[in-house]
Parts: sequence; structure tokens; C-alpha cells
Amino acid sequence: MSEQRHGTGEELLALRDGEGSAWVREHVSACAVCAAELERLEQVRSQLRALPVFAPPRDRWPVIEQAARQERRRRRVSWSAGLVAAAAVVVLGFVVLRHSGPAPQDTALSQAMAESAAMEQVFRSLQPDERALTGKTAGVVVDLEDRLAQVDAALNDPAAQRADPGRVAELWKQRAGLLSALVDVHETRATYAGL
Amino acid sequence: MTDTLPLAEAKSLVARARAGDFAALERLYRTYERPVYTLARRLTKSAEDAEDVLQETFLEVCRSLRQWRAEGSLWGWIRTIAASKALMRYRREKLREWEPLEEELGGAGVGEDVPLRMDLEAALARLPERSRAVVWLHDVEGYTHEEIAELMGMTTSFSKSQLARAHERLRRWLGAGVEA
Repeated sequence: MSEQRHGTGEELLALRDGEGSAWVREHVSACAVCAAELERLEQVRSQLRALPVFAPPRDRWPVIEQAARQERRRRRVSWSAGLVAAAAVVVLGFVVLRHSGPAPQDTALSQAMAESAAMEQVFRSLQPDERALTGKTAGVVVDLEDRLAQVDAALNDPAAQRADPGRVAELWKQRAGLLSALVDVHETRATYAGL
Repeated sequence: MTDTLPLAEAKSLVARARAGDFAALERLYRTYERPVYTLARRLTKSAEDAEDVLQETFLEVCRSLRQWRAEGSLWGWIRTIAASKALMRYRREKLREWEPLEEELGGAGVGEDVPLRMDLEAALARLPERSRAVVWLHDVEGYTHEEIAELMGMTTSFSKSQLARAHERLRRWLGAGVEA
């Protein structure tokens, strides 16, 4: 014997959305009232989807752009602060090394740091934030910046450096290489084939 | 709406924007400003609130571009940010606008002036804010009840009952047919 009631709103909406119970499915096939209500619910959904879109009354882009540029500048400043911290770690490493006698990697380290600093100066002078890039070039820049961030994170990890002091010079070399590649990309917009 | 930006173009624009290209960011903004603003209008009380949501959404997009998983729809990602920003306003304002079920379903309240027949736009605007949000997110944007529950900090069954109550109101206000 079938139940003597109509489908509830929730049951009919679930059926409309393809999740109805077996009971409501069977009931609607035999009940003209519920079938009409289901049809109405489908109609309302279609009409809702057909409502026109709104256009913002004012152009908000100038405000968004200005705020985004400010945030980006703040991030750059904190990025530079991170580099200062990394340099401090390296200086500390120097002190430790000098107290424990001459180390062959001293020269290589100071050379790599100098190369990195020089390349960073060239990179900043290009004002990379102000440059429009093609999609392909932008992908290269993002890849290089991601790798640079990884190197900086490693340079900011004193524990890892204590465990493997010889790696510090290698990281600074990598950093100089990545900055050099960024300079190349911004200067030439050439296709980057991968480091 | 479906994503109007092909995935390859979306990936390219996002990569350029991540690299600091503001022309690419503006292109993203121009592509999605209307759908984001429309969603915000449906989920908030006023045009001013919707404008704020539009701005907050794109600032968040600028900050979080690295988090977009390039295999998914860019519009889907931006839309969820916009919905979160809009719905966060409920929590900030601590709105408590869920009317008691009985008096709502029993007819107009005392002193409430309801026309015999409303068009859909007017009826939608008349719905309580959160009910309207559930209807819009579910019926128009295609969110599941589980997703709506997560966005609104509610339970799935609550989302389902809100949808049913909202449709019951719309039925009363719209009459048998629907006028767009």
C-alpha cells in the first residue's frame, strides 16, 4: 500500500537535483500535484540562472591595483630582510670557520656572495615589477623566482648549514646563477630553455 | 556561469600575474569583475557591500595566485574566494536573521505588505540574506549542500532545510508561474 502523502519540499528538491529517494521518485510518477511542483521547482531554477548579471557601479581596478602594488613592495622589503638574515648566518659561519682554522671554501664562499650581490643589484635596476611579460616568459620568471625562494629558504636555515657548511657556498652560487637568469629573461625576453 | 577563460589562457595570465605583470592582473579582473560582483550582490545586503566584496576578492586573488591549482577552473577558484568573503560578512556582523519557521510558512507577518504577485528578482531580493545565499549558491552556482555547509559554517541538513524554506516562500510570492 502506498503512503497517502505528498512529497515534502526537501524531498522534491532532492529529486530535482538527482538525489531523490526511491519512494519520492515513484510517488511523483503517479501524483500529478507533486509532478507539477517538481516542474515548478525546475522552472524556478532555470529562471534564476537566466537573471541578468550586475555591473559594478564604479571601476574598482585602480584601487585594487594600487593596493596590490603596495603589498608587493612590502613583500619585497621583507624578502630583502630575509636575505640580510641569511647573510648574517653566513657571517656567523665565517667567524666559526676562522676560529677553527683556515678552510678551503672561504674564498669560494665570498666570491659566490659577491657575485650574488652584484647580480641582485643589476636585477633590481631593471625594475622587474614594472615590466609586462608574455605568458611564456612569465612562466619562466615564476619558475626562477620559485627556485630562488627555495635557495633563500635554505640559506635561512642555520641548522642545515651547521650540518653541511660546505653547502653554503654552493647555495650562494646557485643564487647568483638564478638572479643572472632572471636578468637575462627580463633583458632579452628570450625563451628560457631551463637551467 | 561557466568559465569564459580557456584553461591555457588562464594559466598564462596567472603565470604573468604571479611574475608581477599588472596588465595580466587587470585582464583577470576585467574577465571576472561582473560575475564576482553579481555573486556578491546576491549574497550581500547592498551594492556597497558587494563592491567591497569585489575589491577584497581580487586583493586576495593577487595574494594567493600561487595557490591556484592550474588543473581546475580559475572561475571556480575565484568564485569560492568571493563567496567566502561575502559570507564572512555575516559572521562579522553577527547577523541573526533566521526567522521562526512557523510564522514564515504561515503567511505574511503582522503589518507585512506583500504584493499578490511578485517578479522573481523582487522575490529573490525579499528573501532573508542567508536563505538567498543558499538558493543562489545551490541553484545558480551549483554548489552542493556539503560545500555550502562548509562555506557557511552550518550543517548539511540546515542547508537543505533552508533551500526548501526559501523555495516555499518563492512559491507563495511568485504564484503558480514564474516571471523573470
